[in-house]
Amino acid sequence: MTIKLIGFPYSGPTMRVIITLRELGLPYEFETPANFEVLKTEDFLANKNPFGKIPVLFDGDFRIIESRSICRYLASKYQGKNNNTILIPNDVHKAGLVDQFVSFEIFYYDPPAFKFVSQEVFAEKFWNKNPDPEIIKQGREELIKVLDIYEKLLEGKEYLNGEFSLADIYHSPYTHYVYGVAKHSELWDSRPNVKNWWNRLRNREAVKKTLEEIP
Amino acid sequence: MTIRLIGYSALYPTLRVIICLKELGLPYELEPPASYQSLKDEDYIANKHPFGKIPVLFDGDFRITESRAICRYLTSKYQGKHNDTILIPNDVHKAGLVDQFISYELSYYDPPLSKLVYQEKFAKKFFNKDPDPEVIKQAREELAKVLDVYEKLLEGKEYLNGEYSLADLVLCPGTNYVYGAGHSDLWDSRPNVKNWWNRLCNRDTNKKSFEEIKSFWENLGK
Repeated sequence: MTIKLIGFPYSGPTMRVIITLRELGLPYEFETPANFEVLKTEDFLANKNPFGKIPVLFDGDFRIIESRSICRYLASKYQGKNNNTILIPNDVHKAGLVDQFVSFEIFYYDPPAFKFVSQEVFAEKFWNKNPDPEIIKQGREELIKVLDIYEKLLEGKEYLNGEFSLADIYHSPYTHYVYGVAKHSELWDSRPNVKNWWNRLRNREAVKKTLEEIP
Repeated sequence: MTIRLIGYSALYPTLRVIICLKELGLPYELEPPASYQSLKDEDYIANKHPFGKIPVLFDGDFRITESRAICRYLTSKYQGKHNDTILIPNDVHKAGLVDQFISYELSYYDPPLSKLVYQEKFAKKFFNKDPDPEVIKQAREELAKVLDVYEKLLEGKEYLNGEYSLADLVLCPGTNYVYGAGHSDLWDSRPNVKNWWNRLCNRDTNKKSFEEIKSFWENLGK
């Protein structure tokens, strides 16, 4: 039974799922929609994603959407089956903290990171718009405060919850975009714990390969 | 070992956790912070929540923050221990779909809903600002589109994933506020959504929790 992933290789949410599939050692087929307009067609809304978004994953007949839900489902079902990589700890307290760090990513890290990504990476390339300096400025101010907190959270730790987990995977795509593509590396590199964490993350095979494949 | 919950029950992320504790039959102590400003104190940030937010839950010495993460932790640890209520199914596919619907809530449902909660419940009472009709209009339009999706996905189902789950729970507190603040038409004009919300309102835990909150708001003016 094959896993089929529908998405775009440059999409942050899609990359979260690709990294997770690779970390778990899972083979999959990757299907890229012809263009953005396909996502709003009746067929896509009815049979793939009612909100007209990607990624969408089919595991045999089972369909699931929302990147972090897809990743959690894959970890719950397959972790430990193809290799020893643990993405959600078995201990209920450790799993709870991984979940907490996922929530930090969703609500505190991702919004300012996306301000940079939307303006400096996507605006011109995909939306034919000029980057908005006000949004970039806000993104920078917010992200600096968040990274100061992460600097403390990572004290004495290799990854957010000590050992590598889903929470670290989720941070990877947009961090790469802001650090490497939009070239704001100083935001991470000026903070020793954060710098080491990002270096560790982006040198993991699954992460490295996925980031290198961005067209 | 007592469960301690730090938060304000009038703020709906705290209420999410309260409803979850009640659904699981778990006793707890609610500890409202001294003031909203105290959330930014050095001590609070170091020992309670690094981003200065509520709720925060202590289960013995174990500390966890972020309401949906707290609910999921409580469910993983305690579901089935005090009663039969299942908030996250054991089957990995069903659990995956519950998670997917929780993601719908935080990605699509809650953003416009929380704008309406702020405008209708908090702006005037706490910040001395008049509700902004333009923000309300846009939030209603956004929420209407989301509820159109929910109308289809609730076809033939009593709850989002068929059986009651955490996916339904997480949106109850915010919905209760907005529904009761003059926007009930958004739910009542869609038959599946209307029935689903009625069903949710009639759950004991929700009935009780919503009554308690009602008293909070009524006493606020006094």
